[in-house]
Amino acid sequence: MAGFSREVAKRIFAEELKSSNYSFRDGEDQHQYAPQYLLTPTGAKCNRVFVVGTLTEKDDIGGDTEYWRGRVVDPTGSILIYAGQYQPEAAQILAGMEAPSFVAVVGKPNLYQTDDGNIIISLRAESIQQVDENTRNQWIMDTARRTQERLEALKNARPVPASSDFTTADNVPAPASSPAQDADRAMQHYHTDIEHFRQMVLRALTSLKADLAKSDMPQELKTTKSAIAESESKPATLTAEQEEMPASRKSKPKKSESLNAWPEPENDEEVETINFAKKN
Amino acid sequence: MKELVDQIKARLRDQKIEVSDEDIESRLKKLIVDFRVPEGEARRSVLNYFFKEHGIVPQVRAGSEKVKIADIKEAGKWVDLEVKVLDLWEPASETISQTGLVGDSSGSMKFVKWTKSELPNLELGRSYLLKKLVTDEFQGRFSIKLNRTSQIEPLDADVEAKPASKAASQVKVVEIEEPGQWVDLKVKVAQLWETNSDAISQSGLVGDETGTIKFVKWVKADLPELEEGKSYLLKNLVTDEFQGRFSVKLNRTSQIEPLDVDVEIGSVAAEFSGALVDVQKGSGLIKRCPVCKRSLAKGVCNEHGKVDGTYDLRIKAVLDDGRRVQDVLMNRETTERLVNLTLEEAKQMAMEALDHEVVRTMIESKLMGRYYSITGPRIDRYLLVESINEVPPVSVSQVDELIASAEVA
Repeated sequence: MAGFSREVAKRIFAEELKSSNYSFRDGEDQHQYAPQYLLTPTGAKCNRVFVVGTLTEKDDIGGDTEYWRGRVVDPTGSILIYAGQYQPEAAQILAGMEAPSFVAVVGKPNLYQTDDGNIIISLRAESIQQVDENTRNQWIMDTARRTQERLEALKNARPVPASSDFTTADNVPAPASSPAQDADRAMQHYHTDIEHFRQMVLRALTSLKADLAKSDMPQELKTTKSAIAESESKPATLTAEQEEMPASRKSKPKKSESLNAWPEPENDEEVETINFAKKN
Repeated sequence: MKELVDQIKARLRDQKIEVSDEDIESRLKKLIVDFRVPEGEARRSVLNYFFKEHGIVPQVRAGSEKVKIADIKEAGKWVDLEVKVLDLWEPASETISQTGLVGDSSGSMKFVKWTKSELPNLELGRSYLLKKLVTDEFQGRFSIKLNRTSQIEPLDADVEAKPASKAASQVKVVEIEEPGQWVDLKVKVAQLWETNSDAISQSGLVGDETGTIKFVKWVKADLPELEEGKSYLLKNLVTDEFQGRFSVKLNRTSQIEPLDVDVEIGSVAAEFSGALVDVQKGSGLIKRCPVCKRSLAKGVCNEHGKVDGTYDLRIKAVLDDGRRVQDVLMNRETTERLVNLTLEEAKQMAMEALDHEVVRTMIESKLMGRYYSITGPRIDRYLLVESINEVPPVSVSQVDELIASAEVA
C-alpha cells in the first residue's frame, strides 16, 4: 500500500480552464507539501492537465535564465504555458519548436492572482512534444467526452454537502474525494451554468467536424503549412493563416487574434504574466 | 380520439360499466380541445368521473406509488415498498438512526432512516410495509430514505426476499472492473503484507488464473486468517477502486472456505487506451545484470553488486485516459518496433552522444502526447505490453455520434 500514485492528467478545454479560479491543497493537514489542486467549473479536480492544441506563439520572457512562454489554442480558447529552468527538458523543446504547430502538453495548473484581483490560470509544463493533427483531433474527442461526463455528474450535484453518507457494510473512510463530491464542490463555488459548458463542448465538436470535412481536400494547404514552418518568414505565415482561416474563423477567433496582432485586446494578460515571471 | 374512447370504454367495461361513445367523447373533447388538457390527464379525468358516477372508488394514491425494488430507477421519487429487512449496518453518522439492506422478490436495496424521522426501529428479518419513502441515487446505485413523512407498518406475512440479492456472483479476478460489486472469488493467496492500520487484520494479493488483485480483510469482519500459498473460496466480497486499481474487501458478511485444489495464478490480457503522458526514467538504453536480469543503477545490481551489464532496450511509460493512469512496460522487441530503432542503432546513438539519455529523449519525442491502445497481462501496477497501436484517426461519424449524445444530454 505504498502511498504514491500518479495524478491523472485531466482533460479540460481552454475556455473552462481559464474560467477556473478555485484552488486548494488536499489532505487533512494542509502542509505546504500537500498536493495542490485546481477545481474547474465542471468539477475536474486537477493537479495535472493534458492539453493538445496549436502552439501559436512562443517567447523567451526570462532575464538571465531562459523562461519560455507559449500560447496553446484549442477550439474554445487559448491557454499560456510556461517552462523555465526547473523544467529544462520542456523548456528546451519549446525553445526549439516552430509556431504554429500542433503540440501536446502535460502540465500543472498554476493559479496567479494579480494585484487588482484578476485570476490567471496558466500551465507549468512538465513535458511538451510536437504531435500531428490526428492527435489533436483525438484530444478534442477525449476532452469532449470527459467534460460531458463531468457535466452529467454536475446534474446530480448537491451544492450543500450532505453528511458523509457513503456507507458500505464497513464504515470505511471514503477516498479523499469522489467525482460526485468534486461536482458538489464545483456547484457550490461556481454555481456552474451546465448549459453554457454543454454548448462549449458542442462548439468544440462542431468545429472539429468542420476541420475533418476540410481535411479531405486541402493537400495543398498542408504543404503550404510545412513550407512556412521551414521558411519562417513572418509575412508568409500571416497570409497562409488567413487563407486557412475562413471556415474555422468563427470557432477560433483567438487564433487569428493572437497570431496577427498579439499585443491587443485580451492581452492585459501579457503584462500581468510578465510580472508573474519576475516575481518568480 | 377514437382510440382514447376505446381505451376508456375497455377500462370501464372491466368494472362492468357501460357508457356510450358519445358520452365519453364529448367529455374528452371538452377537456382536450376546450381546456387544453393533455390526453393522458384527460383520460384519467374521464375515467374517474365515470367510476365515481357508478360508485367505484379508485384506490387512493397518496402521492406515492407502490413499487417493487427493481422498479426503482430514478432518484427523488416517492414510493411505497413491501420489504423484509435483510441486514442492518452501523450508521456512519448521528443523523442516521438506522441503515442497512431491505429486499423483496425483485431485489434488495440500501435504506437509510434519518434520526430526524423519529420512526420506530426496524428489526432484522421482519417484514414491513414502508410508505412514502424517497428514492436516492449515488454513483449509479439507488437507495431509499425514510424521512419524517414516511410510515412504517409491520406486516404479519413474510415478504419473500431474494436471499442475498447482493447476488454475489463467482467471478474471475480479471472480470472485476466496477467498485461496489459483491463477488465470490476462487483464489490463491500470493502475498501477505504488513498492515498499516488497526482496522485491517490482513491485506495482500490474491490471484487466480486470470490475474491478481489486492485484498483487505477488516478486523471487524472477524474472519479466520488466510495463509500465504493456500487456495480459498472467498464469498461475498465487495469490490473497491482507488485511482483505477481494484481491490476486494472482506467484511462481516464475507466467508472463507479453504480449498483442497491449488488455484494457479496466471494473467490474462488487459486492455487500456489513452494518451501517453510520460516516458519515465529508466527507459531507452539500459544495462541489465547478467545474473538476475535486473536493470543496473550506475553499473551496480541491487543483488549482485558491481557487474558487467548487458545492454537492453525498454520503455517504462504512463498512459492516461483522463480517468485513470496505467503504468506500462515495453520490452526490447516492442520498443524496437514502435520507435523503429534497433538495439544496435540505440547503442550507436548513445556512443556518438556520449549519453544514454539521448535514446530516451528520442523515444519521448516519438511517443509523448499520442493516443495508443495496448493489450497485455497486468502484473501488479504494470501492464506488460504485448500489442500497441496508435488509435486510428477520428472519423466524421465518431464526431457526429458524440455531438448527438451531447445534444440530448
